[in-house]
Amino acid sequence: MARDSRRLSRRQFAFLGTQAVGAVVTLLLGIPIVGFILSPLFHRQQVVWRQVGDISGVPDRQPTKFEVSFPLDEWTSSNVNLAVYVVKLNNEYLVFSNTCTHMQCPVRWQSDLGQFLCPCHGGLYDITGKNIGGPPPKPLPQYVHRIDGTTLFIQNSFTESI
Amino acid sequence: MGRLDAVYDWFDERTAVRSLVRKGLYEAVPKRGAWFYTLGSATLVLILLQLVTGIFLTLVYVPSVTEGWASLNYLKQHDAFGSIVRGIHLWSAYILLFVIGLHMVRTFFSGSYKRPRELNWVTGVGLFLLVLVMAITGAFLPWDQAAYWTAVVVTNVPAYTPFIGSFIRALWRGGDFVGPITLSRTFGIHVWLIPAILFPLILAHLALLRKHGEFGSYVNYRGAYRSREGVDVPPVPPQRPIEPPYPAVPTDELWAAPLETEDFFPFQTFKDGLVSVVLVIVVFLLAVAIGAPLEPIADPSTTSYTPVPEWFFLPLDELLLLVPQQLIPLALIVPAGGVLLLLALPFIDRGPERNPFERPAVMVPGGFAVLFVIILTLLGSGRLFNL
Amino acid sequence: MNALALIAPLLERLAGELPATAPQGHNIVGAQIAIGSLFSIHILIAGLVSGAGELGPAIEFLGFMRQRRGYDRLAHGLGRFITYYFSFSSTIAILLITVLLVGFWGHFWTTIVTIAWWPLFIEAWTFVLQVSLAYIWYYTWDPLRGFKGLHMAIGGLLAIASFLQVYMIDVVASYMLTPTTPQNPIRLVLNATSYPLTVHRTVGNLAYIGFVIGAFCAIRFVRAKTVQDKAFYDWAGSFGLLWGISMTLLQPIVGYSYAKEIQLHAYGSWYKMMLGTLSPVFLWQITLLGLMFLTATIYFARRLRTNGARGAGLLKVMAVGLVLTTLLAAQPYHLGFTYAAVASAGLDRPFWEGGLINPLGSMIPWKVLALMSYTLIAIAAVVWYLRGLPGVVWGAARRGEQRLLMLMAVLTILMMVTMGFIRENSRAPFLISGEMTIQGQQNVQPTVSPSPSGGG
Repeated sequence: MARDSRRLSRRQFAFLGTQAVGAVVTLLLGIPIVGFILSPLFHRQQVVWRQVGDISGVPDRQPTKFEVSFPLDEWTSSNVNLAVYVVKLNNEYLVFSNTCTHMQCPVRWQSDLGQFLCPCHGGLYDITGKNIGGPPPKPLPQYVHRIDGTTLFIQNSFTESI
Repeated sequence: MGRLDAVYDWFDERTAVRSLVRKGLYEAVPKRGAWFYTLGSATLVLILLQLVTGIFLTLVYVPSVTEGWASLNYLKQHDAFGSIVRGIHLWSAYILLFVIGLHMVRTFFSGSYKRPRELNWVTGVGLFLLVLVMAITGAFLPWDQAAYWTAVVVTNVPAYTPFIGSFIRALWRGGDFVGPITLSRTFGIHVWLIPAILFPLILAHLALLRKHGEFGSYVNYRGAYRSREGVDVPPVPPQRPIEPPYPAVPTDELWAAPLETEDFFPFQTFKDGLVSVVLVIVVFLLAVAIGAPLEPIADPSTTSYTPVPEWFFLPLDELLLLVPQQLIPLALIVPAGGVLLLLALPFIDRGPERNPFERPAVMVPGGFAVLFVIILTLLGSGRLFNL
Repeated sequence: MNALALIAPLLERLAGELPATAPQGHNIVGAQIAIGSLFSIHILIAGLVSGAGELGPAIEFLGFMRQRRGYDRLAHGLGRFITYYFSFSSTIAILLITVLLVGFWGHFWTTIVTIAWWPLFIEAWTFVLQVSLAYIWYYTWDPLRGFKGLHMAIGGLLAIASFLQVYMIDVVASYMLTPTTPQNPIRLVLNATSYPLTVHRTVGNLAYIGFVIGAFCAIRFVRAKTVQDKAFYDWAGSFGLLWGISMTLLQPIVGYSYAKEIQLHAYGSWYKMMLGTLSPVFLWQITLLGLMFLTATIYFARRLRTNGARGAGLLKVMAVGLVLTTLLAAQPYHLGFTYAAVASAGLDRPFWEGGLINPLGSMIPWKVLALMSYTLIAIAAVVWYLRGLPGVVWGAARRGEQRLLMLMAVLTILMMVTMGFIRENSRAPFLISGEMTIQGQQNVQPTVSPSPSGGG
């Protein structure tokens, strides 16, 4: 390197060239792969309405479970069943999911306690879905819904994200 | 024999296989306490068992939420040998987790992670974590009730990371909820991504082991590795030149050679083989007698199923049970900090002392860590039996 | 003769005052106080004995591995302690069982023996095993000096016997709080709180013996004449405290899980402890825990400073951290800034309308945060002390350190009495939760009790 330091030697040129080739390949491969991995994040979930059924028979203050079938994903024709707890409180209806806000375990209505119980870590919700005991940080999620007469329709999304 | 030797020579000329074999097999290893040093090879054998059975399971298993469970159910109903293969895969995984833990505790106790073997320890911790990830991701794949709810809870844990939590959860799940993409991704992680890191790391771990030689434990040495007030061992003249670079660069007391050594092959390999074969037989018997369970297919709409964590997930799950809502991120910092401390261990504990009873400032907190994990597991174990 | 003639009328009057049989049916409070105070004394001594039975062999093993005489001397001292105090402790236990429990609460005693026959049967045999092994272990110390392995094996058996003994009695004690309905021995042994209680008490006994060693050695240190004795008692006191605090810092997590099990399986008792009448006592208890960690950390800092060993400064910082944590733990309620928080904690209404007696006396989450900080800071303090120990010259300690060691033992005893008080009163008015009350005891004559099946 005793020669002019600004002039690239043959070795230096080859060294930089190898690195440049590596960088080009990494970029060409990296951009699509990272984009591909991240793509589901930016993909809006397909929102559909489904009929739950006639809720005129739901007794007051007694959560009743319905099951509704939703499409599993866009690429398959299969369906998945989701649980819906319909609660009638003074002629108002609350439509809960069975998803605990702590670790998303399946919540169940315990009629002896008069509360929703999560069996994983002992989370408790009262009949209005308020988290009243154990580790859950948020109230029980509710489905986006509408009622036509006595027929309940829900959408496969929650009113608040969990 | 002459002809075989000629063939060997032919290969050696073209591949240098002879020096490789010599390096791998004919090496002096510390003699005393050699049974403790079989844990590493037992770990390797169990990982290879995982590799073999795993490869064959992919011949049947379909990574799909609609077909995955059915393919394993077919295996269970109609394919006795396939069930045994799946049983071996499951039980060797369980025993692997146990053995790799013991291997780690042994290394910790004997202080083998000290200079110049720091990177052996770091790669080992990496392998331990990767094996844990393998165990967790593997638990998702059957897509029965147990697998589904394990997937739901486990992918939800990172959601409590401050700021980027829900992003990590969505990245793993491939959406806001557990669904088909979650299974595809987890299958890819379990079958390709992690093994692609795991196996090179194993090679690095073994290469480093051969580079520095097996340390053994302080009982193999006199001088600096011995207790200061220890029983004085009369100096033993080395019977033969000791091959691995025990007396590495600075040939002072710190790099002393073991008092007694013997060849790795066939003496240590025989002990290794005995331990491994016992473990493999136990795995086989468990696979035949108990096998791998398969619960009913995943049902997100259930309101009667009580999810129970995998046993190796119990300490963390018990932590989740105990810690109130406001402190969940804080509670997750504790295990994360534990992992970081584990990685940093050889750079924190740098003194020459190797006797576990003379290193209380390291052994006591390490003992606490082990005790906390054991206590949390015991406290959570009631749920495994639905008591 | 004269003297007897003088007191004879007095004796006669006294005899007329005393009830003819065991005082059934009246003076419940008197019986409770008698049993409660005797039980406290029993537990305070029995906890030491079983702790010594587990710690002694462990110290002997450590001494063997480290080849230091101090350990052997300390372990031998523990052996002597067991041989002296085992009989005292068991005398109180026998007095408790035969006179007070059978006399006052005969129905309860026969019932619990019938239900928990197997654990009590094993318990009886572990007593025999423990006492034989303890004497063998102590008296073969010098004869077996050349066969240390054998001697340590005997010690190991002693430790196992001591543990089993605590385990079996804890099965019975935990059953009284969380009874199981189908009564078979396995169910009984695996009742909801037997596991946490056993771990909690075993670890607690180990901590307790450590602190008592610390206090004992502190007294001996002050009185010691020779340099060797001073060095030994200084070291042993430090060792006892270090051991005790190490065990204590496991307790928050074990105790918290115990409380969690009680919450799940005996909600009434849990409510009473955490939010009800016993919550002030619980508050005092968690404050006491902070004081214990604080005292130990101050000792660590002072002991290192005495010899100018490294780490004293950081230990002082940890002590300040522990003061802050104790203040956090000691505040009577979690901070409620909104009306909803206040209401959900029961502050918006008086206790006779369902509000809490200790308003906002919720354990969660500040108490949990405090427990976590206690544990983490205490671990750091222990590690820092251990790091500094090579710079310590034994025998150079000053009086201040010894006073801290004695204070530590006092705090521990207060802690144990407090916890026993909480535990036994959380069930009140039940002796066996939901099944048998103290009142019920007094109505039943001993003749109609269920078939007695021996044991004890």
